Amino acid sequence: MSELALFLIRIGFVAVLWVFILSLLSVIRADLYGRRVISRIAKQNAPMLTAGSAASLGIDDGDSFDPTEIAVLTGRTAGTNIPLENKKEVLIGRAPSSDMVISDEFASSMHAKLVHVGADWVLQDLNSTNGTNLDGKKITTPVTIRAGMTIRIGTTTFELRS
Amino acid sequence: MSNVSLTQAIPMLLKAVPRSRNFEAVLLFWVAGIHAFALAQIQLAVSQRMSWDMLYYWAPPTISAWIFHYVLRKYVLNADGLLLPLAFLLNGLGIAMIYRLDLAEITRGGQDLFAERQVWLSCFAMLIAAVVVRLVRNPLVLRRFPYLAGAAAVVLLLLPAAPVIGRTFNGATLWIAIGDLSFQPGEIAKILLAIFFAGYLVSRKGPLSEIGSRVLGMKIPSAKDLGPILLFWVASIAVLVIQRDLGTSILYFGLFLVMIYTATGRGFYVGIGLVMMVTGALVASRLFGYVGARFDAWLAPFATENYTAQGGSYQLVQGLFGMAHGDVIGAGLGSGFPQLIPLAESDFIFAALGEELGLAGIFAILAIYLLIVYRGLRIANTHQDDFSKLLALGLSFVLGLQVFIVAGGVMGLLPLTGLTTPFLAAGGSALLANWSIIALLLVLSDSSLKRVKE
Repeated sequence: MSELALFLIRIGFVAVLWVFILSLLSVIRADLYGRRVISRIAKQNAPMLTAGSAASLGIDDGDSFDPTEIAVLTGRTAGTNIPLENKKEVLIGRAPSSDMVISDEFASSMHAKLVHVGADWVLQDLNSTNGTNLDGKKITTPVTIRAGMTIRIGTTTFELRS
Repeated sequence: MSNVSLTQAIPMLLKAVPRSRNFEAVLLFWVAGIHAFALAQIQLAVSQRMSWDMLYYWAPPTISAWIFHYVLRKYVLNADGLLLPLAFLLNGLGIAMIYRLDLAEITRGGQDLFAERQVWLSCFAMLIAAVVVRLVRNPLVLRRFPYLAGAAAVVLLLLPAAPVIGRTFNGATLWIAIGDLSFQPGEIAKILLAIFFAGYLVSRKGPLSEIGSRVLGMKIPSAKDLGPILLFWVASIAVLVIQRDLGTSILYFGLFLVMIYTATGRGFYVGIGLVMMVTGALVASRLFGYVGARFDAWLAPFATENYTAQGGSYQLVQGLFGMAHGDVIGAGLGSGFPQLIPLAESDFIFAALGEELGLAGIFAILAIYLLIVYRGLRIANTHQDDFSKLLALGLSFVLGLQVFIVAGGVMGLLPLTGLTTPFLAAGGSALLANWSIIALLLVLSDSSLKRVKE
């Protein structure tokens, strides 16, 4: 075994160790940048919606759209339905404790929520990193969902159906 | 799949993404490759040719790691994917280094071989860890017996001082031996202590953090709540006196301080604890010769009287010379002289690796430890349950502190202690304890993703 070969092996081993460690950073990066702590809801997004705050918001109850389930159209869980009966609030996000879990790099752990206000379902973005789209437009304020509207979070799209 | 109810849908969604397990499998392949590389390099450097002997040191641990991986896939699908490969990497590097020291010993005509034993002990430790995962699938079970765990820890700590079975090596009374089997009960005690502290502090954190009178802008807890900290301080000093080992004492007391600080959020405990510990250590160094000798060797390792003294700084200085010889990229596995360091296979394996892998290699090893501790702290951070949070924190912290004390000791930055380098050093009890810590962290990381339903 020549000196040069041994030297290369010696450098090579330490290099392999470091390549291994650095490759793990791809996992850790998600920890460092992936989740943002939600400190406060952005001003125009306020006030924080809760079920039963219909009167204070002045949201009209004229529409007769009364959805009973969330239908996931695209994304990892495409085809599943989540029933809405007897629910006041549906928390959507990557956190396993969410009511609707979206396993997607583009979803925040607490991404958005649907709140039952009066007879309507209102969508509110919880200051997510990548935003919530309603019919292709990013929402900045709580929006009442009408029949046929499509919500997109990351690569997952879903709609409310009656 | 239509009309899945919400409670059914969530576990289904979670189970659909076992990304961590697949990533773990990829990493295990990689780590096995690194181990083969290390063994081949050693054989090439020492005997200029490769032989099939290396399979003996490579295959059994690799198979055990895969069995462990299979158990994780079966029982804790969502557990952290980095802990097993990282710990296995360290374990294999340790086996390679011990094998390398064995080759040097054979060349020298000696009989003290450790590698074979280390291989089988590693396999045993990994399989026990798999059993731990299987048994403790719900970590909250551990919360039921905090005092039992505490009492068991105390008994284990006192065992080495017991007559007949107690053993003293190199001035430290850390072992028990029955026949040829020797065991270091303090290693297991650290897990039990973490369980005890977590259980105790979860139930007592209210009084410990709220009650107290304000003196000079600081909230001083009432005497009743200060009791445990005093009691534990006395216990650590007792360990110091009985076991004659500063490292063990600092390890347990450090664990206690960090856990009480995390549970209560009061810096007061850390402040007073550190003052008490430093005072205790200084007094002990004056009163007890063995601690004092360690202090002298640490402060002036190159002084002739320390260097030549029985149990003096000879070993430390050999380690320092070795690491200096290693330079930045190391002498190369199999090409240095780590056999010149006394106890290079156990207490000083860190220096042996430092010589052959160099500064770059030793930083890589420290980075691996850092990643393990980081993953543990992350598990603690993301867990919803307070007991599990504290336990994960305690287990990962105790691992980190042990590395700190050992590495600091070998580098001459801290007084030398009898603690072992986790996963690297030869020794069954340490392997068993540290693999069990990994098993518990894995179980905790799995349950942190489950919804708490009970």
